[in-house]
Amino acid sequence: MQVALKIWRYDPIAGERALREYEFDAPEWATLLDCLDIVKDRIDGTLAYRKSCRMMICGSCGMRMNGAAVLACKTRMYDIAQAGEVPVISAMGNLPIVKDLVVDMEPFWGKIRAVTPWLEPGYTEPVEKERVVSQERMDVIHKESLCIMCGCCVSECNSMEADPDFLGPAALAKGMRFVGDARDEATVERLQEYSNPHGIWDCTRCYFCQERCPKGVDPRDAIAKLGAEAVRHGIDSDMGAKHAKWFVTSSKTTGWLRETELVPKTQGIAASIKEVKFAMGLLTHGKVPPPVPPHVAKDVGEARALYDLVKTQERAGAAGIVQGEKALSRLEFEDDGGERDPYGEGSFPKPLPVDKDGNE
Amino acid sequence: MRTVAYYKGCLASLSAKELDISTQALAPKVGLELIELERVTCCGAGDIHEAEPDYYLHLNERILAYAEETGSDTLMTVCNVCTLNLRQANHQLRGDEALLERVNANLESVGAPSYSGGVDVQHFLWLVSAGDGYELLKDAAHKGLKGLKIAPFYGCQILRPSKLLGFEDPDRPESLERIIVACGGEPIDYPAKIKCCGFPIIQAREEVALAELIQPIEQAKEAGADAMVTPCPLCHLSLDAWQSKLLKETGRDFQMPVLHLSQLIGVAAGLESSELKFKRHIVSVEPVVDKLAV
Repeated sequence: MQVALKIWRYDPIAGERALREYEFDAPEWATLLDCLDIVKDRIDGTLAYRKSCRMMICGSCGMRMNGAAVLACKTRMYDIAQAGEVPVISAMGNLPIVKDLVVDMEPFWGKIRAVTPWLEPGYTEPVEKERVVSQERMDVIHKESLCIMCGCCVSECNSMEADPDFLGPAALAKGMRFVGDARDEATVERLQEYSNPHGIWDCTRCYFCQERCPKGVDPRDAIAKLGAEAVRHGIDSDMGAKHAKWFVTSSKTTGWLRETELVPKTQGIAASIKEVKFAMGLLTHGKVPPPVPPHVAKDVGEARALYDLVKTQERAGAAGIVQGEKALSRLEFEDDGGERDPYGEGSFPKPLPVDKDGNE
Repeated sequence: MRTVAYYKGCLASLSAKELDISTQALAPKVGLELIELERVTCCGAGDIHEAEPDYYLHLNERILAYAEETGSDTLMTVCNVCTLNLRQANHQLRGDEALLERVNANLESVGAPSYSGGVDVQHFLWLVSAGDGYELLKDAAHKGLKGLKIAPFYGCQILRPSKLLGFEDPDRPESLERIIVACGGEPIDYPAKIKCCGFPIIQAREEVALAELIQPIEQAKEAGADAMVTPCPLCHLSLDAWQSKLLKETGRDFQMPVLHLSQLIGVAAGLESSELKFKRHIVSVEPVVDKLAV
């Protein structure tokens, strides 16, 4: 098939960027990575990009296609080429470019290191017997354990664009991988650390990380799990945690968000006073609903009773999110819910019948 | 007429009443009969999902159950955040019998109806940008927008995660553009139309949020937009009300009018000013109204 690509080249010595177009013939099964190999091999040997395993395990070949971070080795080119599209390939975002499609991963690794990405089991000598962790406890960190640290989730992270010091989705998901680990003894210290500025409560919930992750880690959900664990452990002095808790209080008292009280409940009274002028501007346009009399939902007692009831059912913290993951994973892996023939068209060749001696 | 259960959420009940008023006025013109849910609460806005996720799931199932009780198979939302929260809970409950059974038992024990999984959560944008709703919208928008340049702003949680939302390509959406064209306006293209407005952290991390917020407003202004339009009242609040903070922090006075989707269609469909309620906006919509009056 004929493939055309536009690639943003970057020459670090001259400091110049240029968009170059390449056209070539490629096999129908080619991935974006195969296509880059063809360009490098046959057209321009100076093209720089990272690769290693070619099978979605090593996490080396993260790059942008039309502005969206992808693993080059996971991206098949057939449909794109057939549609006559000429995709634009560029380096991932939120990281400095070294050359062409190669980014400097050091800021990424620095943030990974900052979350203490190893087990803190609370002992230094091996214990006598092996520690058996139940499947149920391992399920808590199943998704976070899938991370291959390719950086795709970081590439379009909106909070990191606004604040380069934000720990970001990859590091926070790694943090959850240890907070949720039954063998780790540093949960409270970790949650305190991750609750600092540039941590859990800096996530703006743009969900770009969830959209981009090629491995199903769902980093935004991992950050929500950390938030839930922080609140469960009473580590809730950050304004983000207070903000989140005010929604809980609102829902079980009036049912609806008590919007006008949200600012003092999040920022404290002293900081809110500074906002008086801003609030007056909103007030004149009816944007500050009076808290009294409160806007109360009919039968809000049901919500309050539900709150009290679920508190007794041992699904506090991250478990409340983990319980829904089985159903959500079906969205990805069960396309139409119908029966699938594993040897049908476009799949594996059917094995030939084998006789009792093993001959085909 | 298509009958749908209508969940207006917190903001349309409170600081963004103009969204509710214009939606209710517009609905019959685009073939929608709304049954407003009265006994429901906040969906949790992502905050309860983050603080008390099990409680979040129950609150949202309770909303779905009351929607199902109306007999409609569709729950219509007018907010991105409500849409994601409700669709996420719906997928979790529909895809896991044991979980649905447990949450239903809890709902029953507090006197709420149980849920059988028969409701689909649809944002108003989706109902009027495709199918019968879109055909009716084209007829309803007879007054047009006189070629007004409109910058569509989608916001995040109507696009991503696409496996839960899935109405359109999250990187190249076009539903708002389709509506702008049908209403007689000219859609403006700009990169930040699918990015975050910063609202979820605007209280706790204002500096970060403002650095996000300025991008779409600045780009829309530079592209020559007369106004922006958004399907989300949270995006609306930050885009509209926080422009004064951008002025204070950056010295840049954008004066960019921001319309709710129902207001934009409402203008083209000839709603009265008492139904559009532009006076409730912080940034004046007068320049837009003046252009249309010429």
